[in-house]
Parts: sequence; structure tokens; C-alpha cells
Amino acid sequence: MKNKLLILTGILIKNGEGFGVKDGKRSTRMILLIVLAVSFIPLAGMLAFTISGMMDALAMIGQEGVILSWGLVLCSFAIFIFGIFYIISSFYFATDVENLIPLPLRPRQIVGAKFLVVMVYEYLITAFVFFPLLLVYGIKSGSGPVFYLYGLIILLFIPVIPLTLSSILVMLMMRFTSLRRHRDIFSIIGGVLAIFVGLGFNMFIQKFTVNVSAEELQKMLMQGENSLAVLSTGIFPTVSWAVKALLGGLTLQGLLNLMLYVGVSVLVFVILLYLGELVYFKGVIGISESGSSRKRNGAGLNDDKAFAMGNAVWTYAMTEFRLLYRTPIYFLNCVLISFIWPVFFLFPLLMQTEEISIIQQIAPFLSNPDLSGVVLCGAFALSLFLGGTNAVASTAISREGQDLYIKRYLPISYRDQIKAKINTSLGLGYTSILMMLIAAVAVMKLPLYMALLILATSWMGVRLMSFTGILIDIHNPKLKWNSEQQAVKQNMNVVFNMLIGMGLAGGTMFLATNLALDLWVSLVGLFVVYGGLNILFTRLVYTIGVKRFEQLEG
Amino acid sequence: MIELQNVTKTYNGTVKAVDSINLTIKDGEIFGFLGPNGAGKTTTIKLIMGILRADQGTIRVNGLDIAASPLEAKKQLGFAPDSPNMFLRLKGIEYLNFMADMYDVSAEDRKTRIRELSQRFQMSDVLNDRIQSYSHGMRQKIVIIGVLLHNPPVWVLDEPMTGLDPRSSFLLKEMMREHADSGKTVFFSTHVLDVAEKVCDRVAIIDKGHILFCGTMAEMKEHFSRNESLEKMFLELTESHEE
Repeated sequence: MKNKLLILTGILIKNGEGFGVKDGKRSTRMILLIVLAVSFIPLAGMLAFTISGMMDALAMIGQEGVILSWGLVLCSFAIFIFGIFYIISSFYFATDVENLIPLPLRPRQIVGAKFLVVMVYEYLITAFVFFPLLLVYGIKSGSGPVFYLYGLIILLFIPVIPLTLSSILVMLMMRFTSLRRHRDIFSIIGGVLAIFVGLGFNMFIQKFTVNVSAEELQKMLMQGENSLAVLSTGIFPTVSWAVKALLGGLTLQGLLNLMLYVGVSVLVFVILLYLGELVYFKGVIGISESGSSRKRNGAGLNDDKAFAMGNAVWTYAMTEFRLLYRTPIYFLNCVLISFIWPVFFLFPLLMQTEEISIIQQIAPFLSNPDLSGVVLCGAFALSLFLGGTNAVASTAISREGQDLYIKRYLPISYRDQIKAKINTSLGLGYTSILMMLIAAVAVMKLPLYMALLILATSWMGVRLMSFTGILIDIHNPKLKWNSEQQAVKQNMNVVFNMLIGMGLAGGTMFLATNLALDLWVSLVGLFVVYGGLNILFTRLVYTIGVKRFEQLEG
Repeated sequence: MIELQNVTKTYNGTVKAVDSINLTIKDGEIFGFLGPNGAGKTTTIKLIMGILRADQGTIRVNGLDIAASPLEAKKQLGFAPDSPNMFLRLKGIEYLNFMADMYDVSAEDRKTRIRELSQRFQMSDVLNDRIQSYSHGMRQKIVIIGVLLHNPPVWVLDEPMTGLDPRSSFLLKEMMREHADSGKTVFFSTHVLDVAEKVCDRVAIIDKGHILFCGTMAEMKEHFSRNESLEKMFLELTESHEE
């Protein structure tokens, strides 16, 4: 008899959790994968370049090994944070959970299998940071094959400990709080909390790195031999074993540390299985019960306003928006993200008095007439970036999922449906730009005339990215998913649009700074180039986009 | 009236889910669409609704070609899919208003119809709750109310009785009868042969994409030249087709 845990893991992975590249023909899938791989090369290259530079600097004080532990701690922390989301939705809110409970499976088998599936996804994050790190360090330090072998073994085990921590946290919360009955609110609070934890961690790191005194640094310097590497692993102590294993190589110490790391990871996984046995079912059973208090509330229907007639496109857009803010995963990834960037930019500035002075340094830069062309282009690049990172348009069709067929029998044209979806995206995008501008005027003393000029141009950036996003999503929507999470977080269309946005933003900035464009040239240039692109993509969406939408058979 | 002429639908270029079928559902009749699982019932319904596009043949709804003038044809139709799990995060009333706006129902009409229908289906008290909190049967009822809001001449119902309580099921059958008697069309699929036998004016039996029989209950009995239950005849037809 085969191990049920592994059988279940295999089934869950097969059951279509892919990253949106699964659908479609083999050839298109290959092309997509190649495009994807190629588009990550520059990012990975940049990362490798940064790592290499930091290594050189650290090598001067004999501390180059610290880069390994920083990388591993960063990986672990990212896995922990993302893990909380993945675990909540995979363990508790995925639609397959209700189908698994009636099967004669032990809770630990379900927990174990779901854990392993999430872990497979975490490898993607891990590999992205860890491979460049391993290669750069390996090459620069002239390490032998043992280093790479250890590296691969460690890669396999990196997600175990942080992900177990997220799992335990989530399982205990689900077991012992009644919040699970209000799953929507709970998910949103959890998401917002995670963002603030992220921000907090960011500030902590900043403070920590700044506050290490000169004496301490000197002491570390004296000790040399990568002692800093071990120091920075305070948050995930187990990481230090991995680092010692990598640095120790074939020595007894290296081998022992590797065994220790792998052993503890396995042990932690087993502990998780038994904890799952104890608490998982108690938390998950009854999760789909609704928290609705069935009031006798037919009274509200006496109000004529409840029956007002609306324009079909408007109603469609409003319904899209309702679904966006009422579905926690959509709210976090599509709505909140529009408003979190301004906070992200301003939060550290507002919190630290030292950095207020940075604002005061930025202020003259922003109001310097010689630089106003660059500032305008910079703000425009930001609008491309914001538009690109917003997933409303690039998941507009994917979010329909298996329910796409509903939109095919409603008597509203595909063109109008696309228009409504675009409008939803634009509504959020424009609001985001507006908030950013208000913040810039209030805090960074951006001159009012600049704010108005930015307003007059940046809508084109947001709008363009909405059109490219929906075009990408119509071309190859991810319609087969079990949890809403897969529609937005495991959807390559979002990444593609983000890369396009970043590419355009980078290009615009490159030209603006290298040619030192003045205000009027910038203004005219933006209108000509991006006005043209807007017209082009509007046409594309309303011709081939509409055609393609017609052909999609949900 | 629904007319299907030589309609063929192939999946993945090989599997013929529906193979050149001809069907005419006349005004004033309740038409039952029967067949084993995977016979092509839902595919046929999706073709009528414009959810799928036929590879060959034409489909007309009250004379309007679903491929040539989709929006006009769709307005003639009211469709209840077999799964009522849709728009779960909307409140009942929001869903109904959404459907009313899609089908251009005036404020006055929707007010009367929402009130009347939700009272008949005993849903008035829950219209301000999210559909998520409804039971399967209640979801079925809200979908049916949504379908009937624009007073469509042609009803297309995929397994409409599933999950309905006896009272609502009776009510729906009664409404189907009223609708057909007023000279309009009801097309519905079902597995429950007792229901088909009692409610339908005519039935068609489909298997592996082919129509095996189409006619009144009396004609069917004549076809078999004996007086048997629909269930027996159904089994005989689909089994002999299998050989």
C-alpha cells in the first residue's frame, strides 16, 4: 500500500494548481515558459550583480560569508510571510477541503500533503533568490562541488522551518479563535497585518543595521572569519547551521551542521504533522458555515431606491467592484495594492525624524525648474509602475474562472463587458494616482503646477497598463482554479503586465535622465508617445480583444 | 419557439458532443430534454444559450439567430444553469438588480416582479443577505427569480428541480404550466423521469449526441406499442443505442 500522504500530494499538485502556463497548447506553453525565463534573467542578473558588489565590500573585512546568511534569512522571512497567506487559503479556504474531509484520511495526511504542495510553490521564491546567491558566492570564493551539493540539499529544506512556523500560527488561530466564522474579514485583517509586519520588519532592519555601534563592528572585524554571518541569523537560528554547513564544506563541522539542519527540518515537519492531527479538523470543520445572522429584513425592500434602474455597463462595473472588495484575496491584491504604495513610500519618511530631512532634500529637487522635465517623467514612470502592479485588469477575465459561461449568456455585448472591466481598473488606478499626488504635495512640497501637470499626464500611464493588462489576460486567461488565490497570485498574466510596466517605466526614466529633457519636451513627448500607445492599445483591445473574448468558451 | 437545425458541436476536434441534431420546440409547450449523463444535454443547452458556438448548423430563438444577433436572441431567453453557485458575494437583492440591469428591466417592473416572485418563493426575508449564506435550494430559487425578472418568452432550465423543496418544486411546475399555456416556451432538462412524464407536453431523448426520440408521451407509447413507464422505455432506448 502506498503512502497516502504522498498520493494526496501528487493529486493536489496535478489538480491544476499551475501558474497559468498550464492551459493552452504545448507550443504556446513552451513559448510562455521561455518568455518567462528570459524576462527573469535581467532581474536575476541584477540580483547577482548586487550580491557580487556586496560580497566584495564584505570580503574587505573578511565577512563575505554574511551574504549567505542574509540571503537565507531573507528567503526564510519571505517564505514565512507569503506562507501565512498560502496556508490559510490552502488549508482552510480552498474548495477542495470540503471534499477531502469525508475521505478516510488522517488529519496529518491532509496537513502534510497540503504543506508539501505549498512548499513546492515556495521553491519558486526560494530559487529566485538562492540560485544567484549560490552561484555568485560559489564562483567568487572558488568553492568546490561540495559547496553546490550542500547548496542544493539546503535549497530543498529551506522552506520547511519558516513554513512550519506559518502553519502552526495559522492552525492555532483557526482552532482557538472564532474569527474563522467570519472568514472574509479575517483574511483581510490577516493580510493587512502581514503588510504591516513587513513594513515593521523593514524598519527594524534599517534601525538594526544603523544602530550597530562602531565598537561592535570593530569587534566583529577583529574576529573576522565570517562571524557576522552567524550573527545576523537571530530570527531564524536554524539558518546558521545551513551557513556553517556551506562554509564548512567537507570538514566534520560542515557535515555535522548540514545533518543538524536537515534533521531539525525533518523533525519540525513531523511535529507539524502531529499538531495537525490534534487541531486541524477542529479548525476546519464548519468553516463553510456562514456567519450571516438571518434577520427578518424584508423591510428594506419597501424603499424604492432598492429597485432603481441602472445603465448596464455601470452596473456591471459596480458588480465587478463589489466582488473585488468583498473577496479578501482580490481585495488585498487588487484594491489594497492601489492604496498601499503611497503608504509604503510615505511610512518610513513619516516615522523617522532623520529621514524627514530627506524629504526636505527631495523638496527642492521636486521644485527645481531645471529638473522639472525629469520629475514629470519620473512621476509618469511611477504611474506606469502603479498601473502595471495593479492586477485588476490583468486578472479581469481570469477572475471569472468557471463562471465565465454566465457572462456569455447575458445580453450585454463583449465590448461593453470589457469596457466595464476596464472602468473598474481605471477607477482604482486613478484614485491611487490622486492619493499619491495629494501626499506628494502635502509632504514633499511638490509645487502645485507640477502636480497638475502630472495629473494631466499620468492618467495615460495608468490607462495604458489597464489596456495591456486586459489584452494579456484575454489572450490567455487562467480560468481553471480552486481558490481565488490561484486566479490572482498564481497568475502569470499579472507578472507579464508588471514586467511591461516596469520596462516602460525604466525606458522612460532612462531617456528622461540621459537626454535631460526639459519640462516642455517631456510634456509633449509623453503626450505623443503614450497618447499614441493609448490609442493603439484601445484599438487592439476593442478589435482583437473583443474577438478573442467571443471565442473563449467557458 | 426554439429551432435547432443540423447542429453539431465537436470538442477538441474529435469528440462529437452533439451530432447534427434537429429539434423544434414550439410555442405553448413544455419540452423535456432527457438523456443519460454525458449524453449532450448540457452542451445542447449551452449552444442554445450562446455559451458555446456550434461548429455547424443554426439555432433560432423566436426567429432570431443566436450567432447572427446574439444580444436580441439572448433577451428572448431566461436561463437557469444546473449549478446555482454564482455571485455568492453579492446580496440577493444586488444579484437581482444586476440581472434586471443586464436585461433592461425598468425600475417599476422590477419592483413589482421582485416583490411578487420573492414572496411566491418565500425569499423576501433573505434578499438583503449574501447569497453565500443561502442553502442550495435557496440559491436555486434566487437564480430562478433572476431568470424570470425580465419576463422572458423562452425559458431554458437545466435541472431546475434539483435541491428545491417540495413546495417550490410544485410552484415552479405550476409556473411552467402557466407560462406554456400563455403561448410561450419552456425547455428543460431533467434526470427525473417522473417529473418529465407528468409535466412535459413533448420530450426528446438524447444519447451520445444523437436524438433517439422526439415526440409526445402518447407517441412514445405508440412507438413502443405498449404501455410502459417512461423509465423503462428510456432505459430500453439508451441501452439498445449503446450496443
